[in-house]
Amino acid sequence: MSSSLRNAIKRTTHKERSQPADRTRLGLLEKHKDYVLRAKDFHKKEDAIKVLKRKAAERNPDEFYFAMEKKKTRDGVHEERTTEQNKYTEEELKLMKTQDLRYVSLKAQTELKRVQKMKETLHCLGAGIEERKHTIFVDEYSEAKTFKPETYFDTPRELIGRAFNRPKNSQLEDADQLVGVGANEIDYDEEELRKQQERRLKKVAKLNRGAYKMLNEHEERAEQLKSMTVKMALQKEISHGKGVKKKITKKNKDGTVESYFVWKQIRKR
Amino acid sequence: MKGGAKVVVEKHRHEGIFVARGKEDALVTKNLVPGDSVYGEKRISVDEADGGKTEYRVWNPFRSKVAAGILGGLDNVHIKPGTKLLYLGGASGTTVSHCSDIVGPNGLVYAVEFSHRSGRDLVNMAKKRTNVIPIIEDARHPQKYRMLVGMVDTIFADVAQPDQARIVALNAQYFLKQGGNFIVSIKSSCIDSTAAPEAVFAREVKKLQEDGFKPKEQLTLEPYERDHAIVVGAYRVSKDKK
Ligand SMILES: C[S@@+](CC[C@H](N)C(=O)[O-])C[C@H]1O[C@@H](n2cnc3c(N)ncnc32)[C@H](O)[C@@H]1O
Repeated sequence: MSSSLRNAIKRTTHKERSQPADRTRLGLLEKHKDYVLRAKDFHKKEDAIKVLKRKAAERNPDEFYFAMEKKKTRDGVHEERTTEQNKYTEEELKLMKTQDLRYVSLKAQTELKRVQKMKETLHCLGAGIEERKHTIFVDEYSEAKTFKPETYFDTPRELIGRAFNRPKNSQLEDADQLVGVGANEIDYDEEELRKQQERRLKKVAKLNRGAYKMLNEHEERAEQLKSMTVKMALQKEISHGKGVKKKITKKNKDGTVESYFVWKQIRKR
Repeated sequence: MKGGAKVVVEKHRHEGIFVARGKEDALVTKNLVPGDSVYGEKRISVDEADGGKTEYRVWNPFRSKVAAGILGGLDNVHIKPGTKLLYLGGASGTTVSHCSDIVGPNGLVYAVEFSHRSGRDLVNMAKKRTNVIPIIEDARHPQKYRMLVGMVDTIFADVAQPDQARIVALNAQYFLKQGGNFIVSIKSSCIDSTAAPEAVFAREVKKLQEDGFKPKEQLTLEPYERDHAIVVGAYRVSKDKK
């Protein structure tokens, strides 16, 4: 019988055994081909460990390596190299090695957008008081001499530093100064209402801190990405840029080393 | 207690302005047209003590100099419920819309803007906010719109032009009541990009004084803007009153 005819005869369909119901907590039932993959992976790791162990056991402590010439200890502790290469964090290096400039600048852009978006509702209340300059004009010199901010702004002395909102003295007694601290439900007595308001203010303050923490993280990352695009663009220019260049290394007074490149000027036609 | 309350709103020193704190930390105004955003700004709904709800709109100080000045601690902005305000340099109306929230149904905002492009947004906004009167004219020629504008309590100017002081003076002559107030936003690079910002601000204040304005305070706008200042003061104060 030819094979094609044999195929035409209907046979029972093969059903794969699945994980029994009472063992579902163990996940999918492992088949032989899965086992093979797992075992191969295991043996690969096992071999790697074996090699490393042997290397460590056979290491000759007296052997010389060139890297030793530049290694140092300070107070008996091994010191990491602090050359140009180590200026970058682990994370930055990884990104720089694996991604190209276009990708990183795209990421920097997105991060900046996100920060701007967050700042739409997080107005950094209370920030910038040191940079800002507030001038009050008075008529007489004597007025300037006796100037008292708390009288001028009609606000308690402790609130002068709270530039984003310095309530007037008359507002402080206002019972509705805060909105949204709690409903005046009839069955609440005074004490309970006060407690409820306190709880709510606490909760709101916590949310506020969380939001700023998040903003901070994104701001930091945006900054990092931006400085990386600059560095990477420079690197690219240095390694692929045309023309004759010279590296100039300068030691600053404070001991830090700065280096930059100067390209030879070519007259363009 | 309802769990939904994630924000507490605090009344600001200036009537009609509020600060929302919680997941947001923002300057806000009470929305005159609840349910409607003007330029895509976020709206915040808050439970009132009497069980009702109030809607507020977030006022971004990174985009509005008035907001930056308020958060910077100006003593008085002279914009409050009922104020009649002449706003020079309305642009697309982002700040104008918040001024409209503040002055409320009893106040008026005349918004002058000479660019037709921005003016279109301004006109569209005024369709929903009846207390905004858009005027698409050059603020240098107040006689052209003198029939549209009545006497006002306050003039605000943010035209970003080198001759801003003169523009304010011209408009004040026509429309600002005696003892009315002015607020001008000064971008030092727009007036003289070579001089130090401090010097530019001082020169502008001098010009204003010569035109009968009496500056009361000046505030720089960090951290929201660099090399910007707001000057606030009064107009033609009678000698015996001060
Ligand atoms: C810096 S923007 C104002 C932004 C606006 N105050 C805000 O916060 O949303 C300046 C505006 O003034 C307008 N402007 C400039 N010169 C003007 C003039 N002479 N008359 C009327 N508008 C003018 C410009 O078209 C521009 O839209």
